[in-house]
Amino acid sequence: MTRYFSRRLVLSLITLWLLATIVFVITNMLPSDVARTILGPFAPQESVDALNQRLGTDRPLIVQYVDQIRKLVTLDFGDSFVSQRAVLPQILDAVGRSAKLAGLALLITIPISIAAGVFAATRRDRKIDRGIVLLGVTSSSIPEFITGTILVVVVGVQLKLLPVLATPPPNADVPTQIRYLLMPAVAMAIVYFGYIARMARAGTIEVLGSDYIRTATMKGLSTTQTMRRHVLRNALIPTVAVIAVQIGYLFGGIIAVEKIFNYNGMGATMLFAAQHKDLPMLTAGVIVIGIVYMVATLGADMITAWMNPRIRLDADR
Amino acid sequence: MDYSELDKVRRSTTPLQLDVVESFARGRISRREFIKRGTIIGQSMASISAVIAACGGTTTSPSASTGGGASAPAGSAGASAPAASGAAGGTIRVAAQRPKGALDPVAMVDLTSYGITAQSLEFLCTLSADASDIAPGLALSWTPDSTNAVWTFKLRTGVTWHDGTPFTADDVVATMERLVTAGNSGLKGVIAAGSAVATDANTVTFTLVSPNGNFPYLVSVFNAQSLITPKAYAAGTTLDKAAAGTGPFKLTKYDVASGATFVRNDTWWGGKTPLDGVEFIFFDDTGSMVTAYQGGQIDALVQFDVLSGAPLFTDANFTVVETPTTNHRQIWMRADTGAFAKKEVRQAFALTMDRPALIQSLFKGKAVPANDHVIAPFYPYFSDTVTQRVQNIDMAKQLLATAGVTDLKVTLQYGKLNEIPDLAVLLQSQAAPAGITITPAGTDNGAFYGAQWCPDAPADPPCSGAAEFGIVDYGHRPTPDVFLNSAFKSKGVWNSSQYSSAAFDSAFSDFQKAVGVDAQKAACANIEKVLNDDVPVAIPYFYNYLSGNAKTFQGVYTSALGQMFLSSASKVG
Repeated sequence: MTRYFSRRLVLSLITLWLLATIVFVITNMLPSDVARTILGPFAPQESVDALNQRLGTDRPLIVQYVDQIRKLVTLDFGDSFVSQRAVLPQILDAVGRSAKLAGLALLITIPISIAAGVFAATRRDRKIDRGIVLLGVTSSSIPEFITGTILVVVVGVQLKLLPVLATPPPNADVPTQIRYLLMPAVAMAIVYFGYIARMARAGTIEVLGSDYIRTATMKGLSTTQTMRRHVLRNALIPTVAVIAVQIGYLFGGIIAVEKIFNYNGMGATMLFAAQHKDLPMLTAGVIVIGIVYMVATLGADMITAWMNPRIRLDADR
Repeated sequence: MDYSELDKVRRSTTPLQLDVVESFARGRISRREFIKRGTIIGQSMASISAVIAACGGTTTSPSASTGGGASAPAGSAGASAPAASGAAGGTIRVAAQRPKGALDPVAMVDLTSYGITAQSLEFLCTLSADASDIAPGLALSWTPDSTNAVWTFKLRTGVTWHDGTPFTADDVVATMERLVTAGNSGLKGVIAAGSAVATDANTVTFTLVSPNGNFPYLVSVFNAQSLITPKAYAAGTTLDKAAAGTGPFKLTKYDVASGATFVRNDTWWGGKTPLDGVEFIFFDDTGSMVTAYQGGQIDALVQFDVLSGAPLFTDANFTVVETPTTNHRQIWMRADTGAFAKKEVRQAFALTMDRPALIQSLFKGKAVPANDHVIAPFYPYFSDTVTQRVQNIDMAKQLLATAGVTDLKVTLQYGKLNEIPDLAVLLQSQAAPAGITITPAGTDNGAFYGAQWCPDAPADPPCSGAAEFGIVDYGHRPTPDVFLNSAFKSKGVWNSSQYSSAAFDSAFSDFQKAVGVDAQKAACANIEKVLNDDVPVAIPYFYNYLSGNAKTFQGVYTSALGQMFLSSASKVG
């Protein structure tokens, strides 16, 4: 298992380095004078030159590249061009906000969708199965911004049950934060319910049809025992992989949802950075999202290996 | 007319003041305009009242119009004392467009930054409580010499910065030097390095580059960057990094992506504000602001457009403040190069605009037609000698033929702000019958200014990297100096059309030097004629500024430049 983990970790780090390199190449391909962007169109050229020198953006690209990689290792992303403050605390704040929203969305989605998927599989081709499948297809085909807008108008404006802005007041307690985040989380959960439920259903159906489940049933195990000991552990392996990808996606920020609920998560932060040519913020955002993806997929690999010994045995060979 | 009373005033006034008195007595300017102009040039309220009485009228709400010359007690006008009624305490939540970046008082260009900085920093001349004109701010009074070339500002005493340091004339002088260095759009060519001199700790004398009767407006709330900052502020210092101010609220938190929070300044010279604090929440669009208000999560909107804000007009719990302003859109056309280099082509485009239809579609009638110049009909020196341009497709076609242009295809750049995207589409459809094919190209408004309107390079002349055709927004100014100086004067800092006209420069110079209503009106007539004929920009309308707040709050008033004044605001009941 340790060897498997080490190999996956090394692969992840290589992926991260490639990502950093791609980001550097792309941002340096943009035709932009960094100091001019910061100081504005009316600043004297001497000030622009002085700032470029101070930021190091007048150095050869290879020197800047080596410097950037060195700084990334120490998570030193420099200062934002827009706010002129250190990037890392701002990115961590945004990641923290996205983590809260994504966490709540996943807390709602995962148990409900897995339960629905497995339940549908055990009642394959019956009305309830078709109903769950239809619900899943429908919910995942409605974009978040539609669901979010409907929730805002109905739940927020008409019924006034929940806040329409997702940002809770400063120092709000946990229940208050959940209350503010509930609507956007539900909007996201509705979409991901379909993906995860269908994956759980398909996995469960496949496992239910396998020989070892038939054997387990034949030797007298109850349905509950069979499900718990043999079905779920095997059926949910592909579902775990899907959830891991969704975690990275959700942490990266669902821009439409963040816009509708005026929530300043990673999506809004990255969009703002892109619109204002805030390259340090943009670079840091991409790298941090890359790290989240890496950790999520690494975690999923570990869970998968734990759930299915054949995977770690293959990896160890 | 009581000539004996009038003569008493005539004998005691300066030549400049006498000109305004005579203009009013002969009916050339309205009473409101007389009060406004009289106070600007240092005439006392007693003198103004005497003239109005002698001419058979009565003064109304003099406190609201208390301008420069009249000495006003601290907090009696403008940034005023707390409201007499209303509950103390609480925080008002204000919705505003997301600002462009850090809060640099000298370099800021967006309305939200104007509004946020004005909570902490103050102007020499602030906004009167009825939001109609300027009133004493950090300056208690101001008077010109007989030529309008030297202005003396008396500062308030007993004012301190948020850190307890006394506010002095040195702070004003240092601020003016920074503004001159930065090439402030309103003060460029009006004052130069060394123009502002501290005569004593509470007096500043400005020796202008040339006479200017509108100078107090250029150091007022209507020149948003002229906020007075501490002497220690270096160029590039931002309010969010170095919070400071003399104003009613102290900045405690600023996040460009989410909002800003303020707490009451207990040592403010105007007294204790009813509100404990102010919270700004940033949005990307008006629709979200309206939804947030309907959901009970914001209390006021700094600005909204008539289409997105439609539900607010019928909301019984919301107060809509509608102010006629000189807010407008300039559709610039590069006069030096490209498809619009010939005057006839620019005129042809201007003739395709159906202004009444635009106003009805975009503002539901809450705007007035403009005539391709910036002298709005509200200005006292507006001249109606230039015929209003109306849609004339046949003439547009003729002009294009004269210019030898057929099948004109152009890209119209614009920032996604309020009604501008819709305006671009309407312009496209209105120009099509004349054979002008317009492709609207919208970008995020924050990026638009640097990418299309005034790109970084080339830096000299300013805006020489601008797109050949685009729409840009201009905020309200009580005098047209900033518009004329920045957008039309040769090498002006916002001259995106790269317009250069000796006739215009001369007319503008005449306007700046003009002393007296008649002279200013004559100069403006020339400006209108030149701009209307050359059409470096097409201007379809001047629209009303819309802002408002929930009726649970009172005492909120807003300038047409996005500054929401909350020192008197309180919760109702």
